[in-house]
Amino acid sequence: MDARRVGMASYGAAVADVREFNINPAGLVGMRDWDFTATTYLTPTSGEKGFVFHGLSFGKRIAERGALGLQYSPGTQVRFVVPPTITVPPGGTPTSSDRQLEYSEPFSLGLAYRLADEASLGIGARVRRERLTETLYELVIEDTIAYPVVTIDESEVTSWNLDAGLLIDVGEAVRLGLVGRNLLSLDDSTPNDTLSAYRLPDNAVGELSIAARPHRTVLLTAELTTELTGALGVEWNLGKGFALRGGAYLSEEERPAAYAMAAGVGWTYEFLELGASYLHFFDQTLRSGSGQAAAFDPAAIRTIDLSPYSSDRVQLSLKAMFGRVREQLAVIESVELGGAVYPSSASLFSVNPIGRAVIANVSDRPLQVKAAFFVDDFMDAPTQSPPVYLQPGQRVEVPLTAVFNERLDAITSLTVKDADVTVEASPAEQADDRYQTRLLIQGRNAWDGDVLTLRYFVTPDHPEVIRYSRDVLLQHRDSLAGAGGALEQFSRARVIFDAFAGNLVYVHDPRQSTDYVQYPAETLGLRGGDCDDLTVCFVSLLSSIGIATAFVDVLPPDRPEEGHIYLLFDTGLAPQFGASIAGNAKRYMVRKDRRGMETIWIPVETTVIAEGFERAWEKGAEEYFRDVEMALGLVKGWVRIVDIQ
Amino acid sequence: MWKWHSDSSRDGSGLWIFNKARWEMKATMMLALMLAAAAALRAEITVETARGDVRARHGVTESWTAVARGDVLKPNDSIRTGRESQAVIRVQGEEGTRTISLPGEVIVELSDIRELTQEELMLKLTMEKVRMAPSDWKTDELGVPGAAVVHGSDRSSGETPLENDLATGKLHLNGARVLFDNNLYSTCILRGMEVFRRYPALASSVPDRMMVADALARTGLKGEALAEYGAVSEMEGLSDRERAEVAARVKSLRR
Repeated sequence: MDARRVGMASYGAAVADVREFNINPAGLVGMRDWDFTATTYLTPTSGEKGFVFHGLSFGKRIAERGALGLQYSPGTQVRFVVPPTITVPPGGTPTSSDRQLEYSEPFSLGLAYRLADEASLGIGARVRRERLTETLYELVIEDTIAYPVVTIDESEVTSWNLDAGLLIDVGEAVRLGLVGRNLLSLDDSTPNDTLSAYRLPDNAVGELSIAARPHRTVLLTAELTTELTGALGVEWNLGKGFALRGGAYLSEEERPAAYAMAAGVGWTYEFLELGASYLHFFDQTLRSGSGQAAAFDPAAIRTIDLSPYSSDRVQLSLKAMFGRVREQLAVIESVELGGAVYPSSASLFSVNPIGRAVIANVSDRPLQVKAAFFVDDFMDAPTQSPPVYLQPGQRVEVPLTAVFNERLDAITSLTVKDADVTVEASPAEQADDRYQTRLLIQGRNAWDGDVLTLRYFVTPDHPEVIRYSRDVLLQHRDSLAGAGGALEQFSRARVIFDAFAGNLVYVHDPRQSTDYVQYPAETLGLRGGDCDDLTVCFVSLLSSIGIATAFVDVLPPDRPEEGHIYLLFDTGLAPQFGASIAGNAKRYMVRKDRRGMETIWIPVETTVIAEGFERAWEKGAEEYFRDVEMALGLVKGWVRIVDIQ
Repeated sequence: MWKWHSDSSRDGSGLWIFNKARWEMKATMMLALMLAAAAALRAEITVETARGDVRARHGVTESWTAVARGDVLKPNDSIRTGRESQAVIRVQGEEGTRTISLPGEVIVELSDIRELTQEELMLKLTMEKVRMAPSDWKTDELGVPGAAVVHGSDRSSGETPLENDLATGKLHLNGARVLFDNNLYSTCILRGMEVFRRYPALASSVPDRMMVADALARTGLKGEALAEYGAVSEMEGLSDRERAEVAARVKSLRR
C-alpha cells in the first residue's frame, strides 16, 4: 500500500497515477509519463521488528490516452500458522500436525484508457496465491523401535482476479469513481479439500467513491462498497509541496464501525514525492500477530493488506516521475511586458521584471512552476524566474526577468523582436506551455526620459573617458600642484571642464534630446552633444577621477517644455570653507557626501560650455537657487537630485 | 498596459502600476504650489530708506553695490547694512505689502522674506536629513557606474583652505533675527540652520540657537523645538539664567 492511500483511507476516486492503481485502475491515466514508486512498512504492534519491503510499481503512459501499470508487491502477504495438534487415537499411535496458510498478491497489472476529457476506464488483474502447508508428525513403531515420520502435504492455487474501474469528472471540482472488484476469477489448479476450506472470498464487490475539492488546497474523499465497508479521507495541501492527510476506515462488521483511522504527510519536490502515514486499528483483539485458531476466519479477509488480522502500521513510500511531458500541467494565460527595452539600462531587467506572466496549474496536483523569458540573439539563454508552488487550479503572476547579452548594445535603431515565454512544471523536462510575444528594443542611445536611468549612460570606466581625464590632468599638472590640498578636487573639476569646453560644443539635438543620449565616448569622439550628452560626459569624466556627482532633473509642472538636466559635483570642502571658492553662498550648496559628511557641492550648467567653467557654474547656481531655494522645487517634487554613486 | 513611472505605486511583485488619478491630483497640487511660488518670485522689493552703508548683491554675483532710496531689488538679491546703518524695504507681493526695517550689521536674503507653510518647512527640514538617501527604487537594485580610478597626488598636502568669515556669519544671523522679529519664522529657522552649518563656531551662540528653537516652537513644530531646546541645554558654558530660560520654555511647550 502507498502512504497516500493509507493516509487518506478512501482512495477510489483519488487514484491519479501508478500509486495503488489496484484500487481503481482508471486512475492510471493521471500519470504524466513514467512513474515509479517504492513502499515499505513497519508494524510496531505485531512484535515483528524492522521495515518490510512492500513493493515496487512502474507506470507508463501509452500513446496519448492510454496507460499501463505493473506492480510487484511481495509485502502484500499474510501467513497464518496453526500450532501443532497432538491426536492420540484409541489404541493407535499419537500423531501431531501443524498447518501453515499463506496468502499473497505478489503481482498486479493495470491498463487504463481515457475515453474522454471527463472519463477514463481501467482494468486490473491481480495475481493471488493461496498456499496451504500441512506437516504431519507420526510416531511409527516397528520392531519395538519407535521413530517419527514426517509427512508434508502442500496445496497451492494461483488465481487471476480481474477488476474494472471508471473515473468520471463531474465539473471541475468533483470526481466519481466506480470499481467492480473480482469480476472474474480464474484458478490455475484445483486446491485440495483442506485448502478449499481456507480459500479467500472472491465474490464480486462493487465500490462507489467520490473525490471533491471544495477549495483548491483541500481534497475530500469518500467511498462505499456493496459489502457495506467504506472510508472517508481528506488531503490538505499546505503549499511548498507539503500535504497533510487523514482518513477513517469504516465497516459494518467491525466494532466500532469506524474501526481504524490514519494520518499522514506528503512532500513533493521536483520530480520526487515522499509520503509517510500511520494506520491505527481501534480493536487490537486479532491484530497482535497471534490468536486462537478457532477465531481465524479466512472469509473475513477481503483484502490482504487490510484484513481483521492486519496490525497497526507505519507506511512509507517514495514516488518518482520521469520522462517527457505528455499532459499539460501548467498554462500561460497571459503575458504583459512593461514597455520597450533601452539597451543602456537593460541590465536592470536582470533584477527588475521586464514583464509578467499569469500561469495557471491545470493539473490535479500541486506543482512547482518556473517561467522563462528568452529573446533570440540578444540573450544567451532563457532567464528563469524563481520557482513558485501552485496548488491545483491556482494561478499566479510570475515576474519575468531577462539577462541580455552585449549584442543589445549594437542595436542602433528601434527594433522589434520575438520574445518567448515558456513555463515548465516540475517534474517535466520540457516546457508545458509556450507564449510568444513581441518585444520592442530601442537603439543603444535611446533613453526613456527618466533621469534615474540616465546614469546608466555614465561610463567612468570606459577607456576613452579615463584616457581623456588622465590626459587633461597631466597637461595641467603644474597648475594643479599649486592648488593642492582641500581645493584639489574643485581645481581638477574646473580644469577638466575647461578642457572639455575647449574641445566640445553644445548642439541642440534635432531628434529630441529626451529620447537620445550619447555615451561619453561618443560625445568625446564627436566633440559635441546636447545638454544631456554633455552632462553625462562631464559626470563620467569627474567620476573617473573619483569626484562624486549628481544629476539635477528639473521638470517645472507649468512649463514641462523647459524640462532640463544639469549636474552637481562634490568639492570635498567642508561647509565652513565655502569662502575658499565663493563669497556668495548662493553659488554652492551643502550636501552630505556618501560617507554622510557635509560638503560643498557646486552646480554646473553644461549648456553654456563654450563660456567656460565660471559661467557654467554661475548659471548652474542661478538655476539651482531659483528652482530649489526660491521655488522650492525639490520640496515640491519637480526637481530631483540623483546621485551617481 | 502598465507603465513605469516615478509617481506610480509599487505592487507586491515589484512592478509599477501607473496611478492616473493620483498623478493628476499631484500635478494639480504641484501647479498650484508652483503658481504660489511664481507669485513670490514676482514680488516687488523697493528700498524705502537707506541710511549709512547699505549695499545689495544681485543673484549669485560676488560683489556688493550701494543702494539708495527708491532702488528696486529682485527676490534673489541680498541686502546688507553696515555699522550704524539702517534700511527699510517694502515688499509688495500677492500676499500684500510688508515693510521690513533693517537695523545695522545685518545681511538679509530677500528670498527669505516670505512665509512657508508648515508642510514646506517640515519637508525642507526633513530633506536636510535625508539628502543622500537613495532617491528611488532604481537606486537600490543594481550597482551603478562608479569611479574606477583616483588620479593625482596625496590630497592631504597643500594649503589650508580659507575659512568663512565669522563676522559675515554673524551678519547673516542678525538677518535671521530680523526675520524672526517680522514673524517670518520658517525662513528664520532655515537661515539660522544654514548659518550654523557654514559657520560651526556660531552654533555655540546660545541666543541664536534659542532664536531658532523659539521659531520652531512658534511654527508649531513641537518635537523639533524640544529637540533644539534639548541641544541648547546640553551646550557648554550655559549660564544659570539661560538654563532656567530653556527649562521654562521646555516646560511651557510640554504643557
